[in-house]
Order: sequence, then C-alpha cells, then structure tokens
Amino acid sequence: MKDGSGFWTQALTIARRDLMIESRGGEVFGVVLPFAAVAVFVVPLATDALATRLDQLALPVFWLVGLLFGMQVALRQTGTENLAQRRTLALLGIDPAARFAGRSLAAAVLTTGVMVVIAPLVVLFYDPDVIPAVGPSLLAIVGFSVGLSMLSTLAGDVTVGLRTRSSLAPLIVAPISVPLIIGASQTLEALIRDRSTMAPALLLTVTVLSLAVTGVLTAPALEDATT
Amino acid sequence: MTSALVSLRGVGVRFGPTPVLTGIDLDLASGEAIGITGPNGAGKSTLLNVISTLLTPTEGSVAVFGGPVRRRDLPQVRRRIGMSGHEPGLYPELTLLENLTLVERLTGEVHMSAMQVLEVVGLAGAAHRRASAASAGMQRRIDLGRLIMTRPQLILLDEAQAGLDSTARDIVDRLIHRTCDAGGGAVVVSHDRSVLTRSLERIVEVQAGGVS
Amino acid sequence: MTKRLVLPALSAVAIVYALWLALVSSPDVFQGDFVRIMYVHVPSSWLAFLAFGVTALGSALWLWRKTIVWDRIAEASAEIGVVFTALSILTGAIWGEPVWGTYWDWGDARMASTALMLFVYLGYLALRRATPDPVARAKRSSILGLIAVVQVPLVYFSVSFWRTLHQGQTVRPDGIQMDGSMVAALLAGLAAFTLLYLALMVERVRLARIEDENMLSDSVTAGTAITAPDLDGIS
Repeated sequence: MKDGSGFWTQALTIARRDLMIESRGGEVFGVVLPFAAVAVFVVPLATDALATRLDQLALPVFWLVGLLFGMQVALRQTGTENLAQRRTLALLGIDPAARFAGRSLAAAVLTTGVMVVIAPLVVLFYDPDVIPAVGPSLLAIVGFSVGLSMLSTLAGDVTVGLRTRSSLAPLIVAPISVPLIIGASQTLEALIRDRSTMAPALLLTVTVLSLAVTGVLTAPALEDATT
Repeated sequence: MTSALVSLRGVGVRFGPTPVLTGIDLDLASGEAIGITGPNGAGKSTLLNVISTLLTPTEGSVAVFGGPVRRRDLPQVRRRIGMSGHEPGLYPELTLLENLTLVERLTGEVHMSAMQVLEVVGLAGAAHRRASAASAGMQRRIDLGRLIMTRPQLILLDEAQAGLDSTARDIVDRLIHRTCDAGGGAVVVSHDRSVLTRSLERIVEVQAGGVS
Repeated sequence: MTKRLVLPALSAVAIVYALWLALVSSPDVFQGDFVRIMYVHVPSSWLAFLAFGVTALGSALWLWRKTIVWDRIAEASAEIGVVFTALSILTGAIWGEPVWGTYWDWGDARMASTALMLFVYLGYLALRRATPDPVARAKRSSILGLIAVVQVPLVYFSVSFWRTLHQGQTVRPDGIQMDGSMVAALLAGLAAFTLLYLALMVERVRLARIEDENMLSDSVTAGTAITAPDLDGIS
C-alpha cells in the first residue's frame, strides 16, 4: 500500500505494543487488579454487618469498581506515551485515529480482564441471590470496557503531560461515563429480573458508537495538541 | 526554480507570552545539509520542530517538499521526515529488536529489516536486551537506526551526536551523506560548532530568536 | 467608556423589572408562592444550556479558524455556564423541599443530568487552568468542549431512561397552570438573564484580552533571558 500500512494494521500493532508492555511491566494485573480486589473486600467492612443487605450492594459495587479501576487501567503510567514517543509515531505518519483505536482496544482487553476477575470475587463476598447468565453478562462487561476505555483514552490524551493529569482525567471521565454505567448496569439488572435487555443494551451500543466516532474525528486535532 | 526541500518565510513562534523565534527566513535545497547552532535557549529545537511540521508557527509560512503542508497530507508528508532528538522515545519494556520491529510493522514500507538495522548500528548482540537496560548511547543508536530503516528524505537531528562515541558519530555522518546524495536534505542542530563543521556545508546561527 | 456601561445598565434594569414581576405575579394554584422560585430557576437553567452551547460553538470555531477570540468566548461562556448551572441546581433544591418534600429527588432526571453537566464543565475549566500556554490550552480545551457537547445529551437521555425504569411517572404538581402575569414574569426573567449573560460575556472576553495583552507587554524573546555565565563567581 502506498500510504504505508492500513488503519487496522496500525491499530492492531499499537494494541499489540500496549499488551506486550503490560505483559512485561505488569501494571494492570500486578497493581491495579489487586487494588480493585481490595476495594471489593473493604466495602462490606464499612457497613453494618447486621443491618445492611450486602447482596443488594453487589452490582453497584461491581460497576463502581469497574468504572474507577477501568479508568486506572486506561490511564496507567506504562501505557502513556511520552512526548518523544508521540512525536516519533506522528513522524512515522501513523494515522492518529488508528492510534486511538489501538490504545483503546488494548485498554478494553485489560479492563475486561480486570472485571472478569472481579466478578467472582463480588459473588463470593456479597452473595447475591441471582447470578445473571454468563454469556450476556460478559457482553455487557465488554461493551462497558470498550466504551470506558475509549473515553478514558480520550481524557488521557487531552490531559497528557499536564501535572494534574492523574486527578484531572478521572474528573473528565466520571460524569461522561454515566450512559455507559446505566447501559451496562441496567442490562445486567434486566437479565437478573428477567426483563428485556433490548433498551439498555441499545443505550450501551449507541454510547460506545458515539464515543468511537468522537474519538476518530478528534484524533487529528488531539495529535496536533499533544506533539 | 530550485527544488527547495524546506522554505521558511517570516516564521515566528511564541509560547504563551514569550516569543521564541521571530522573523525566520530559511531555505534548504535538495541535496543540502545545514547546521544550526546558537547558545542555550536561542530556539534551535523550536526551529527544528517547525521544520518537522510538528509545531505550527504563530506567524509566517512553512513549505516542505515544495509546498505548504495541508492537514490532510500531513501523514504522507511526515512519513518523508525523520527526526532524532534529545530523547530517543523508545519503549523501555520492549527489547531493542522489538522497538525496531514496531516501526517495521507500523509503516509497512521499510528498506531494511529490524535485524539488519541492528547489525548496521552495531547492536546485533544486544537485540534481545530491553531498552530500559540499554545505555543512553545504545538508545541513541536505535533512534538513528529508525532513520536508517525508514530512509526519510529530510532528516532532522537535534543534538543527535550527544553521548555517541566516535564510531557511532560516523553513523550520523554517513546518514547525512546518503540522504543528501539521494536528493534529500538534512538539518543538524547542535550548540557545539565543532560537531557541525565535520560534514556540513552551511551553518546558521540562531541568536535570541532570529537567524544570522 | 459610557458605551461600555449600556449593556450592564440595561441588564440591571431588566433584572430589577423581572424580579418585580416575579413578586407581583399571581401565586400558583398548587405551589402558592413557591412558584416564584421558578422565575429564577428556569432562566438559570436556560442560561446554563445557552452558555454551554456557546462554549461548544466557540470550541468548534476555534478549531476551524484558529482565531484566539473564539477560545476566549468558549472560556467565558463556560465560566458563566458553571455559575448558572450551580444556581439552577440550588434554586431547584430550594423549590423542591417545600413542593416535593425533598431537596434532592432522584425521581427527577433533569436534576441529576444538570448536576452531571456541572461536573463536566468543572472538568473543562480545570483542564484550562492546568494548561498555562494559551495556544496549547485552546487546542486541548476546544477538543474537550466538543466531546462534552456530544456526550451531555447522551447523559441526559440515559438518566431519563434510568428514571423511567424504576417507577412510572409520578403525578406531581409541576404542571403549572399559568395565567398572564405568570407568563410575563417568566418571559421577563428569561430576557433579563439573557441580557445579563451578554453583559457578563462582553466583560469576561474583554478581561481575557487584557490578560493576554498584559502577558505580552512585558515579555522578552526567550533567548535574551540567558546570558553567558559569570565564571569569576565560581571560586
């Protein structure tokens, strides 16, 4: 191809790079995941052991931990390109949208991994009455992870290099993540309560798509702002 | 019309309130290699960033490869520009070989395989060493290796010789010559004049934001 | 100088007139005098949306034209928007206590979405504060301004959706039977607040320009700040 490699080759190469770095650095599964597990474990200790029904907290805790630690995954230090790395990629003529796609994809894989490990811990510690079907639940988790990863990647890029980035990026992500939280959590609630998952799943899908379009369209301007 | 690779007219750059460059006119012809020197803080690196298209000047015009750079042509134009700067920008968790293979996969149009490049820069024996365990000089060689691999028409070197031993400095000289012989050009920034006089035709002095 | 005072003076007169209408208009059949809070609450909400819309527009125009005035407009509008969003939430809560019996009602999707919108633009302003260089600031914040305007409607929609899942529409006295004096008070409030917004915008944008000019007036070229070291000083 005359214009170098194509969009998906570039995106997948970037994603592969990030996953290789994670496999060596271990920031997500060695640091973020244990931290998330501790959070799941600590919540019951902050309740009244007799009066509080832990099973009712299972899902909210699961999604809150998914949100907060999913952000940490996407904003992890070892997954953040420094200025020299960003400039090198720009001068190699890498499509900024492919870079966005690749980095979001890697973060989504890692976030899904974290949530899949957290889910049985929540079941174990909170003992919910009904456990939703694994297949559809996994789909909701994947949708949530993909959306959150794109949003966090965007917020991470908007704040890259700033001294307040580690607190500023989560502030940007949290309020905008609401449609993802509602879409994903209500899909699971619908599975548990035997309602139709159609509407929440549609909300989740629309949100993910809108984030994808936003990310792709703003990628060139974002590259310009951060090189 | 001479085939100017780079042409700057009245370029000014301002970071916030501070003007860094003012009224810069600069031409680089095809086959030419020039040096840029000047004291600390004079704006040498900023000038190089403008030429690289990474930094849009506050004033003036920049033409690279014969025309102004349009947004949608940016990836194609940038692919023909190679820069080696203060920081090599390697991924510390990846090996030296993996760092080069990444470039190979991303661009899909390299002139030499990653392993061949490692041999050229004299690091074949350290191919599987992580970049974090490589010395500054080794990292610098890998950075130059990227330019050998992608063969850009315009090479921009920002203090690229710093920290290199004399054999590795020969890599830089050879890279410049080969690029210019092929009709490309090179801009070499250094605060050290002796580095520049080794192989460059023209030296431009940047003094407090302007050129002389 | 006097020209500069026209808009602030006009908006001051309009605010006083609107407040007077709000106080003399007839009380609501169900809410009684509490309905008067609405004459501040509704215009505040309207300004919040107007202001954030202008921020998005300023962001888009900055990205397109790269003229600094659009960035100043985006910033000024976001600041004003945050103030009026906060005012809208506050007046909503004050009104909610006597009428709904609670300051905060999760049953009202608008309250939750408005609060979320406040956080979005607090983040936007925090990003601006964190970026000292004006061009870098304009670049980054304009992108966030656009991301926000795409996502905020989704936030609003999702919260309404979440709300409808949990209970049917409760019958609440928020459908107001408005008579002429009430409509007049509401319209006067909307007009007065819009004038106030314009006056604040003009002043805030002017202030931003002065800030930039002050920064420029005492700046010297970067390189001239560095001189040769004084070697005799090392003894």
